[in-house]
Formats: sequence, structure tokens, C-alpha cells
Amino acid sequence: MDIVTWARTRSPWLIHFNAGACNACDIEVVAAITPRFDLERFGALLKGSPRHADVMVVTGSVSRQVRERLKRIYEQMPEPKFVVAVGACAISGGVFQQCYNVMEGVDKVIPVDAYIPGCSPKPEAILDGVVKLLKSAGY
Amino acid sequence: MIPPVLSSLIQVFIFPGFIFILSYAMFCEWVSRKFVARLQNRVGPLYTGWEGILQPLADSIKLLAKEDITPKAADKFVFALMPVAVFALPLTAIFLIPIQSLTNLWGYSPIVSFEGDLIIVLFLLSVIILSIFLAGWSSANRFGIIGATRAALQMLAYEIPLGIAMIGPAIFARSLSIGKIVEWQAQSMHNFLSAPNLMAIPVALLLAVGFIICTVCLLAELELRPFDSPEAETEIVHGWQVEYSGKKLGLLRLGHDVKLVLASALLTSLFLGGPIGPWPIPPVVWFLLKTAVCVLILSNASALFARLRIDQMLGGSWRYLAPLSILYIMAVQIIAGLM
Repeated sequence: MDIVTWARTRSPWLIHFNAGACNACDIEVVAAITPRFDLERFGALLKGSPRHADVMVVTGSVSRQVRERLKRIYEQMPEPKFVVAVGACAISGGVFQQCYNVMEGVDKVIPVDAYIPGCSPKPEAILDGVVKLLKSAGY
Repeated sequence: MIPPVLSSLIQVFIFPGFIFILSYAMFCEWVSRKFVARLQNRVGPLYTGWEGILQPLADSIKLLAKEDITPKAADKFVFALMPVAVFALPLTAIFLIPIQSLTNLWGYSPIVSFEGDLIIVLFLLSVIILSIFLAGWSSANRFGIIGATRAALQMLAYEIPLGIAMIGPAIFARSLSIGKIVEWQAQSMHNFLSAPNLMAIPVALLLAVGFIICTVCLLAELELRPFDSPEAETEIVHGWQVEYSGKKLGLLRLGHDVKLVLASALLTSLFLGGPIGPWPIPPVVWFLLKTAVCVLILSNASALFARLRIDQMLGGSWRYLAPLSILYIMAVQIIAGLM
């Protein structure tokens, strides 16, 4: 394993994007970085600016309103970047499937690297998903 | 015997210069992150090296390998130059602080030393403020500009009590050179131990007051927690660093770590006796121990407090710290005159 991959997989900085979620998934994402679960064990930090982040954690069924914003925030992130879709809505639209105003999943707008199912997924599941993403990137 | 040119090259680049300071700065970031995590009942970085000790290194390498984005509206030259300045200026200031001499295991001397280098350190601290302001301003981002203005406001306000409090030990030592101040502390400790007199008590108390003033001001200089409104994540995203990515952000982070080392090294050499300690341990070990204690004090304060509002931050400086530091310097003058 080369040193860049080593560094990249050991320091995933997150940015959290709410693409029209009901806040349940957001609370679970925030719970994953609280002392009880402590995502910083893996070197992950929650960052405010997309310029600083490596992993975008997207929650919510992407509404047509938020689509352009999601794309723009994704484009503002520096390469290499990863996207994690958290929750049933972010994967397929969830209960909002076939609504006139949703895109039915993050992967219709930007490429997604990991899906974490659940409504809403537990913090353990989010941690597991992030670690699996890191393993697929060569952890 | 090493030739003098080679010896000074080693001093600047390896020990106690570039590589030593950089690795120690990364170590300090790890110590501070672990310590804050323990205070918050977490474990902190865990899987990168032993107990996550390589975490700052992994962060830096990752940032160096990432894409480097320059916004279209940014002032490209200043935007690219300022991270280098923010990294290089505190490193330059550390060269003026005595750590360890290369030739003598029990000797200590700064890489560069002359009468008045304390003033140069203060000047470098002010230039760091200017470069932070320009870094935020040149990014042409509204959050960046707000953060830069806040940073300049805060650091200029705390620069004044900091400067006054740092002159206190210089008045006692009757010298503006950091090396001479360290020597004065060693000499007066030696005098006190051989012939105790009551005059040492007010001096020690005054130095303690100066230490507290300096610690508070350095917290503001470092933008640590009670004074982190320049990079308040919840209101202005990341303040003046918001547009920086890739290797420029890496340099800014390393610069912050080096600044943490500089702050604790200043506290150490002005108030805690610098690299001097009881005999069988070499000066560099004492230096590392004392600066680590200062890093723990600074990160403890940043874990303990919540962010101050801008008016509270400015009022704290002009209403309390500046008068306190002027009272302090008057008391120092009187005591030094009596001695």
C-alpha cells in the first residue's frame, strides 16, 4: 500500500449535506460523532466547508429544488472525493418514491460510493458503512 | 568535530530546527487532540499508528495529495503566498528560542540570538496576524472576509496585553534577549536556593500574573476555543480558511501546529525557565516537558470554555486585560527598582 492511500484512508473528513431529509438521519449522523460512538477514532472530523472535506454524507430524498445545490457543493469538493448515501430516502427516495418533486436517490445526481440502508440507520450502521468505504478504498 | 557550516546547516534543518520542530508540532497536535477527547469522554484518534500518534502526519500527507482549488475571484498570488507565510513565520520565530546546543549536551542556545530578539518575536507575531488577514481577504469569499476581519480585530486587541506582559520578565532580566532572560531565571533560581530572601516572593507572584495574562492572550492568538470566533464553524463555516483546500490547507494546519509550539515555547522560556532543569537531564528534554505542559494548559482551556461573542472578546481585552497588564508592568518596574 502506498503512503498516499494510507494517509487518505486514515483521515476521512466529513461534510454533512441534508438534501431534504426529515432530520432523523441527520440526528443519527450527528450521533455517530458524539462521545458514545466517536468517529474521530478513525481520524474522521466533521468539517463545515466542502473545500476541506473528503467524504460527503448525504441524507434525504433529493428534491428537485436541492438538486442544483447538491451538485454545486459536490463540485466544490477537491478530488479525490467520496459520497455516502445515508438512509432509505437517500438510496431510493424511500417513502417519497414516485413523488413529482423528488429525484429518488442521490445517485441520480452525483456518483455514490457507499449506501447505508435504514430508516433511519443506527449510528453503528453509519460507522460500519464508513469503515467499509475506507476498506474498499484500501484501508 | 563538525565544521561550523555543516553544524549550522544541521541546526537549521534537522535539530533543533526544521524537522525537529515539525515533528514536535505534529506530536503536540496529537497530544492536544487526545487530551481534549479524554476530557470529552472520547478516545480520540486510535487506529493510525500507536494510539493514533501518526494522525497529524496522515492528515498532512492526505492534504498534500489532494486537489488544490483556487477560486476564480481570488487574488491568486496572495492566495498562494499567505499559507506559506502562515507556516514559515512561526517557524522563524522558534529559531530565536533557546532549546539545545549541538556541541554541548548540557548547553542551550538559540539558533540565532542577539540583543532585542524578543522584539523580533513580537514583530513576527504581528506579521502572522497580517498574513492571516490577507489569507482570508484574498480568498474573496464572504465568510472568509468576515473571518479575516474578526481575526485581525481579535489578534490586534490581544497583541497589546501580550506584548506588555512579555516585557515583564525582560525588565527583571534587564535584557531584551530571550537567551539572557532564560539565563536570568536560572541565575535567580540558583541565588534563591543558595541564599533564600523574601524579595523572591513578589517576583515569583508577578511572573505568575504575567504567565496568566500571556496564556489568555496566546489563546486568542491561536484562535483556540474561547476565542475561536474567527473560524466559528456554526456561523461563518470556517472563517478565513474557508476557501483553502489541498496543500494550502495542509500548510495552514501545520502553521497552526507550529504556532502552538511557538506559544508554549514562549511561555516556557519567558516564565518557566526555558530549557533549564536539574542537572542529569539534558536541556532539550526539559524544553519538551515544559512545552508539553503549556500545550496541555492551552488545550485544557480550549476544551473547557464556550465561544465568546465578539463584543465580549473585545471587551475582555480592552476593559480587563490591557489595564491589568499595565498595572502588572508598573508593579514589575517598582519591584525591579527595589531589587
